[in-house]
Amino acid sequence: MESKSYQRFPKVKIREMKDDYLKFELKETDASMANALRRVMIAEVPTVAIDLVEIEVNSSVLNDEFIAHRLGLIPLTSDRAMSMRFSRDCDACDGDGQCEFCSVEFHLRAKCHSDQTLDVTSKELISSDHTVVPVDFSDSTGYESTEQKGIIIVKLRRGQELRLRAIARKGIGKDHAKWSPAATVTFMYEPDIRINEELMDTLTLEEKRSWVESSPTKVFDIDPNTHQVVVVDPEAYTYDDEVIKKAEAMGKPGLVDITAKEDSFIFTVESTGAIKASQLLLNAIEVLKQKLDAVRLSDDTVEADDQFGELGAHLRGG
Amino acid sequence: MAENLGLMNENEDLKELFRHHIESFDHMVEAGLETMFHAIKPFSRRRFLTSISLWLENPKLYKPQRDSKRMGKLLLPFECRQAKISYTGKFSADVCFQYSEGAVIRENFDFGQFPVMLQSKLCNLRGASPQKLVSCREESSEMGGYFILNGLERVVRLVISPKRNYPMSMVRNSFRERREGYTDKAVVIRCVRKDQSSVSLRVYYLRNGSARLGFWIKGKEYLLPVGVVLKALIDTTDREIYTSLTCCYSDKHEKEKGAVGTQLVGERAQIILDEVRDLSLLTRRQCLEHIGEHFQTVMDGLENESYSSVAGAVLKDYIFVHLDNNYDKFNLLIFMVQKLFSLIDQTSVPDNPDSLQNQEVLLPGHLITIYLKEKLEDWLHKAIKLIQDEINNKSKTFDFCNVGHVKKVMDKNPARIIAQAVENMLKTGRLATQSGLDLQQRAGFTVQAERLNYLRFLSHFRAVHRGASFAGLRTTSVRKLLPESWGFLCPVHTPDGEPCGLLNHMACTCRITSYFDSQGNIRDFFDIQKTILSVLIEVGMSPALPKLVQAGPPEVLSVLLDGRVVGSLPSSEIEKVVAHLRTLKVSSASGIPDDLEVGYVPLSMGGAYPGLYLFTSPARFVRPVRNISTPSVEGQDIELIGPFEQVFMEIRCPDGGDGGRRKAFPATHEEIHPTGMLSVVANLTPWSDHNQSPRNMYQCQMAKQTMAFSSQSIQFRADQKLYHLQTPQSPIVRTTAYTKYNIDEYPTGTNAIVAVLAYTGYDMEDAMILNKSSVDRGMCHGQIYQTETIDLSDKSSKSNQDSQIFRRSNINTPVDVKKNPNKLVHSLIDSDGLPYVGQMIQPDDPYCSIYNESKCKIRYFRRKGSEPAVVDYVALDVKGKNNNPIQKVNIRFRQPRNPVIGDKFSSRHGQKGVCSQLWPDIDMPFSGVTGMRPDLIINPHAFPSRMTIAMLLESIAAKGGSLHGKYVDATPFASSAKKANGDTESNPSSLVDDLGKMLREKGFNYHGLEVLYSGVYGTELACEIFIGPVYYQRLRHMVSDKFQVRSTGTVDQVTRQPIKGRKRGGGIRFGEMERDSMLAHGAAYLLHDRLHTCSDYHIADVCSLCGSILTTSVVQPPVCRKIGGLPPIARRKVTCHFCQSSKGMETVAMPYVFRYLTAELAAMNIKMTLQLSNGAGA
Repeated sequence: MESKSYQRFPKVKIREMKDDYLKFELKETDASMANALRRVMIAEVPTVAIDLVEIEVNSSVLNDEFIAHRLGLIPLTSDRAMSMRFSRDCDACDGDGQCEFCSVEFHLRAKCHSDQTLDVTSKELISSDHTVVPVDFSDSTGYESTEQKGIIIVKLRRGQELRLRAIARKGIGKDHAKWSPAATVTFMYEPDIRINEELMDTLTLEEKRSWVESSPTKVFDIDPNTHQVVVVDPEAYTYDDEVIKKAEAMGKPGLVDITAKEDSFIFTVESTGAIKASQLLLNAIEVLKQKLDAVRLSDDTVEADDQFGELGAHLRGG
Repeated sequence: MAENLGLMNENEDLKELFRHHIESFDHMVEAGLETMFHAIKPFSRRRFLTSISLWLENPKLYKPQRDSKRMGKLLLPFECRQAKISYTGKFSADVCFQYSEGAVIRENFDFGQFPVMLQSKLCNLRGASPQKLVSCREESSEMGGYFILNGLERVVRLVISPKRNYPMSMVRNSFRERREGYTDKAVVIRCVRKDQSSVSLRVYYLRNGSARLGFWIKGKEYLLPVGVVLKALIDTTDREIYTSLTCCYSDKHEKEKGAVGTQLVGERAQIILDEVRDLSLLTRRQCLEHIGEHFQTVMDGLENESYSSVAGAVLKDYIFVHLDNNYDKFNLLIFMVQKLFSLIDQTSVPDNPDSLQNQEVLLPGHLITIYLKEKLEDWLHKAIKLIQDEINNKSKTFDFCNVGHVKKVMDKNPARIIAQAVENMLKTGRLATQSGLDLQQRAGFTVQAERLNYLRFLSHFRAVHRGASFAGLRTTSVRKLLPESWGFLCPVHTPDGEPCGLLNHMACTCRITSYFDSQGNIRDFFDIQKTILSVLIEVGMSPALPKLVQAGPPEVLSVLLDGRVVGSLPSSEIEKVVAHLRTLKVSSASGIPDDLEVGYVPLSMGGAYPGLYLFTSPARFVRPVRNISTPSVEGQDIELIGPFEQVFMEIRCPDGGDGGRRKAFPATHEEIHPTGMLSVVANLTPWSDHNQSPRNMYQCQMAKQTMAFSSQSIQFRADQKLYHLQTPQSPIVRTTAYTKYNIDEYPTGTNAIVAVLAYTGYDMEDAMILNKSSVDRGMCHGQIYQTETIDLSDKSSKSNQDSQIFRRSNINTPVDVKKNPNKLVHSLIDSDGLPYVGQMIQPDDPYCSIYNESKCKIRYFRRKGSEPAVVDYVALDVKGKNNNPIQKVNIRFRQPRNPVIGDKFSSRHGQKGVCSQLWPDIDMPFSGVTGMRPDLIINPHAFPSRMTIAMLLESIAAKGGSLHGKYVDATPFASSAKKANGDTESNPSSLVDDLGKMLREKGFNYHGLEVLYSGVYGTELACEIFIGPVYYQRLRHMVSDKFQVRSTGTVDQVTRQPIKGRKRGGGIRFGEMERDSMLAHGAAYLLHDRLHTCSDYHIADVCSLCGSILTTSVVQPPVCRKIGGLPPIARRKVTCHFCQSSKGMETVAMPYVFRYLTAELAAMNIKMTLQLSNGAGA
């Protein structure tokens, strides 16, 4: 087998980074890689979420399952999740005890004593582990932060009570959406926009303006001084072909040429708050590596080599 | 308080939808019973010189009380629903006895517990504010209109009946079969008394030119010559009758427009008079005696009366019962005969009995009144018979004046059965009556008001049924959608299939007239009629009384007011009069009711019989339109019109055009809004004017089977089955009806992001792919609530006469020894014998245990079905005394029903589909810009043939609406209505342009398309995908209720074949056609496997000597001695009883039914012998 190397060295350039938001470029790789990253971020990066609820008292208007479901969907800070065990793999316990390796216990006690409706929020969930707590959405920048209350679980009126014990476990988004750390992960191909200046010059200003406005997003603009069409924001282009269609309708096909760069992607990652967006990316790469390791190190890889042919060598980092 | 008032007004539109039910009941309570009691004639028996009479007075209905004996606490509807009892109030009345002109003895009788309609004047919830209602554990918008009987909510179905007091000309073949010489033509009138009971009357035409009056007494039709009746009614002369009958003909006007008479009329009048003369009846007295002689045997209680008084009673009780005056009756009969002759001469066309023009509706209050009347009459009849028997038997001891004695006698005829009969009628919808009450059907008068969702519940009150008798009819003419029903019945909202066109729904603005005016006061029809009469005379009507005007169309037109000929108007004047009446109608001060129907049938060449027909009666359909002919004060131009007058009116519809009427027929009226012609449910379909019409029909059906937010007081209800959607949403794209009727209080679906593409193949043929993550996050989650009522005091069932209590056994036994020995009963059942609230109950697990005190045995109630359920609620009936053990409990179970493969969903456009996959989120296509993944994928092939354009519009609009953060109005026909308001929009911007602009502003594609990337490969999909939010409903049909599997299982005892039925674990029939297809494929082994091996495979012993399979029997094997611990060798030995040997024994495989067949044949002395041969030698 020829030992030609297919190894690539993708580059990541971070454009914008906040706790729950990340925008970066991924270059010098192909769509399969980009999509794998997206899929892993959504479905396979582990987090911690409430999975088992033991209800002691529930006299609220919502039924037990409804409350349990709502509790499950509350994002919990899961920085520790990567190092935790899945409760099914945990050998220190049988999966539902207060085992520090695989589960975190929560308690919630709320009773309404006043005539005003009491909002039971995620703030009232008391965790046994200070590293795993409901995500705090209060804006650290300040304004109105005192009023932040967390996620409402249920509303109680006078005399109603909710008392429960909940166990959070590690899991992945593939099993249930509540374990997905990503609110949105998307990528787009970086567009390559080339305006045919010669042809463009044949247009009147009026025509240029209507052509520029044919794009629903602001990709092009007209230079106020030179009256030339310039590309303002190529990434705003959504591949909707509106401008190309417009050019054809104007009788000027080839006015603009837009192609997608096959090896350059712009990622947008939004996190639920369970883990930081940047950490989400790192974890995703880690998970992806583990998955590849699993393929590479498994016993039948050598046999699979014959099936995969060149790909087998590629997988083993040849 | 102001806020409270605001909410009350908000519900006003909703209240309007239920009003006809409540008002009719209210009227019955307030005045209807009183009127009905007056209408019941005193029953009297005469014997020698003494006479007894018996009559009723002073009916009284009380509010529902919790304890009927002590007047104490009020009974609330929610208690009835939970305790499965009826919401009833006491009904009492005075029974009056009079004995030979002696003093009247009045005695108050208790007629039992009478069902009370919710929110009627008797209901304890009447006038309660929403807050009060909630504190009474009702919906905040509880509208009532139904009854609670044994805990079930039942509503009286509105049934179409022929329009009252209007003579209708009809052609029917069945008329010919009356008797020899009858033709198929007649004029029919349904006369309705003040107490709502009705008598139908027919005037038949005979081939010889004469006419007969037919009417029904006790299920038998009696026919009288018209002449005899005319003469018997009033003192008159032949000449007068002749001129009256022929007045509609004059030489001058023959062949003129609107002439109804021909010269044949004179001849026919002659024949009618000759007939009377031939019977040698010359005077009125003779006629009366003639009638009396024939009817004496038929009329009850008049056996000893004179002939003429019998005849008087016949005329009073059976002929034109809506009129009191004999002159009026005479005039009406003349009018009917003229109409009949005109029908014969084809100067007018027959009226269509299927058209809404000639129909009205039977209301709950009216139905109950007439049923009650008959029941009371029966009771009185029986009572007087009992008393008379008593007098005859032991006249010495019986003292009539002694109330105690009389009451004792009457105990044999308990008064309580009266209210019981009404309750039973409402429970079953069946009338237990001899006479039939002049109604078309005996059963199906009430239906259960299911609360599957609010729309279904609401539709029960708006539904109008054509009558059960039409359901079996082969002709489809009754089901046709006729133009006359425009604006009254919804053309869209009728079910598909069997009841199509028979079960209609009232349009949302349609109302039904009642006894109450807009101020809520009971109308005095006598006053109203007097006012109308004086108005008519003012404008130039010549009154019919004292002397009938001797003229007819086209000179003058007859004026009929509620079936009474009140006079005639010159045809030149009539249009002015009609316009005048309409202006008076609109203005409130005139004393003319706002719902007066001015049915002006103009003169025409051979059209409908002309005249001016005025109706003030209740139970008519009416709807509001705007009167534009008379400039009036603002807000006073809304006129209520009925279907009879609508046909001859010019009503403009705001569609931009003139409806083809040009200048010749200027519009006098205008529709208020085009959506007024649709029912409430049909009004909820967004932009239904952009859909193919059948799709809107499907949506109306599906909206009613949606699993939705059915009730806000689920906690306090004990319905057998209740569907509940956990996370409903208010639709982004909505019509004005949503706000008008507060539908958001009971939302029916979810705004799902729908992508239209063929993605995996799992969306073929109306299947749809749901996003698993969306479902995980709670989309379309739901529950079913099921309540089991366990009543130990109910001795009727299973002959359980022993006393039983709820108790659990002290020994903690396993639930199922074989399957699960670790699960113990005490983990499921608490010490009181009832389940723990919140406990999960698996199928076949016990949830309730009962201790039989006399047998000392514990019995368990086990959970049926195939799915686990959670105990939601346990309610105890603590009605008994304090130390009594609890006898009645409600246990409510909650079954989670989250979407699974096979569940049914639909959009609001008749696009239903089945979930075929819960597809992983990461494999769903995603948008590169927003990262959105669809919640739901449907196939583009769902659109071309179905043409549900509104669904596409909804998608775009909802997308724009959600981007802008606002609701989008999707009222159908909005564009045409806008134009009519005078909004002169210079640019005719289309709907799509408006919606496209919204998207564009936010940087989205104008047409709602987006570039999506494959979730699996991350590459751009080949074409742009139409994606946007669409409001999706989850339908109640779920696989978990429907799936059926079986490998082996129970078999039929007789045939040993697998049984059928999903509940019993049976199979699905592999029938003849399936067999044929297997044969055609040559799949012989498969066929053998299905039909034999897996069915009733049987190995039979056959005696080859005599060929019998029945005579063989297994001989008990001789007990073998055990040899050295080896198991005994049991050799089967079979012998034939017939041959007395076991020589020719063979075993043959056969279906077991074959053995059964031979046995059956043997029972009929037919012997079946089998000839056995080797398979190869055959």
